Amino acid sequence: MTENTALPNMTSMFAATSSLVSMQPKLEVRNLNFRYGDFQALKSIGMDIPEKKVTAIIGPSGCGKSTLLRVFNRIYAVYPGQRADGEVLLDGEDILDVGYPLHGLRSKVGMVFQKPVPFPMTIFENIAWGIRHHERLSKADMAARVEQALRRAALWDEVKDKLKRNALGLSGGQQQRLCIARSIALKPEVLLLDEPTSALDPIATGRIEQLIEELKRDYTLVIVTHNMQQAARVSDRTAFMYLGELVEFDDTERIFTKPAKQQTEDYISGRFG
Amino acid sequence: MNTQPHDHLVKSYDEEMARLTGEIAAMGELAAKQLESAMDALDKRDSRAAQRVADNDDAIDDQERRISNDVLRLLALRQPMARDLREVLAALRIASDIERIGDYATNIARRSMTLNLSAPVPLVGSLDPMTRMACRLVREAMQAYGVRDAALAYAVWERDADLDALYTTLFRELLTYMMEDRRSITACTHLLFIAKDIERIGDHATNIAENIWFVVRGETLNEPRVRRDQPSES
Repeated sequence: MTENTALPNMTSMFAATSSLVSMQPKLEVRNLNFRYGDFQALKSIGMDIPEKKVTAIIGPSGCGKSTLLRVFNRIYAVYPGQRADGEVLLDGEDILDVGYPLHGLRSKVGMVFQKPVPFPMTIFENIAWGIRHHERLSKADMAARVEQALRRAALWDEVKDKLKRNALGLSGGQQQRLCIARSIALKPEVLLLDEPTSALDPIATGRIEQLIEELKRDYTLVIVTHNMQQAARVSDRTAFMYLGELVEFDDTERIFTKPAKQQTEDYISGRFG
Repeated sequence: MNTQPHDHLVKSYDEEMARLTGEIAAMGELAAKQLESAMDALDKRDSRAAQRVADNDDAIDDQERRISNDVLRLLALRQPMARDLREVLAALRIASDIERIGDYATNIARRSMTLNLSAPVPLVGSLDPMTRMACRLVREAMQAYGVRDAALAYAVWERDADLDALYTTLFRELLTYMMEDRRSITACTHLLFIAKDIERIGDHATNIAENIWFVVRGETLNEPRVRRDQPSES
């Protein structure tokens, strides 16, 4: 038998190390640490979130993925004892800087949560209410803006005849699209989605996923999901986090076919013990 | 990541994967035996043994169908990722290569039955080195699959060039015989076809080796391979 001491250098089936996803970073995370009191939930995270792409963050419960998302619009600042250090640059400006205007940040970076929470008011008012906080619009402009947001969220056709009805009467999937419409109405640049479909049935989930695909033409999307197949389906880049650390961040295709790290491999193939 | 992965959280997933690789191993074993029996039948001019080889081919085809079904089910129900995905994809491709090896063994058996209808040809012996090498390549490819040994797979991949070289030599040898004695043309032509079948079996062993490499390393083995079968230039 032939001795095989020297195995050849094989070219990877993927471009060596460079990303296939074109990378104009919208958000640049630099050495980010986050603490809930004494507990360090994020440990020196560094990553570039590409503009007008979908970035998925996956990892087991408690890995810090939702925490990371919450840093991107500083929603954590509402709670005492929570602090972040490091840098998160949005178009080159550090949003963690105390001088960064929070009001502007929240309109630039929208967020959609796991459980849709429509306000107990009409469908129309659910959208208009947020807009009024940021802008003064004429009645006609407001109506146009609400329609546009509902159209973008693929909900218009289902609700156009019942805009005056209470939003709580909508189905779960419709409520979630309403929440997405509410975020879109503020013309954000980044949309954060925290488990947006975990409470929805497969049909409603499919609609949201289709919506995500359409939204990335205009927005930068970051989605936290427990559903790995969903991450594989909707995202361009995938980050795997574990115990507050960013284990691997790469093109989604590479993460799900040939991840570089054993931990990632174990997690995505259902071997995590 | 050359190490064998550890267990899935869901045990039945592991069982299904183990079943799939077990079926591939069994199918490979069957094809190797078919090849050896076909060559033995040719050597001993045993038409009944050759017929048995031809009859057994259905079993290999059945196994390929079973493996295709298992792959389909695993893809649909388990949605394998990363190495699991490569394993499942490779299983499908390897099963198809083994099935072709089985077909070539059957071809050889059928052709040997035709050869048995006329007087013995002394030249059959010159197929021996090729046969032995082809059988060894198939067995070693399956052995490499059994333990997911990328180095052994690479050795198989590389040694196919030797089989190609033997084929070229044999081609020239048979051509010389045919030119010397026109009465040997029929037999020599059959032998040439058999030699070509054996050479093709080597190519399928090579494909299997490439798939093992892909499973273990996550890359395609795509460096230019040395080819030494250039009979047309002789």
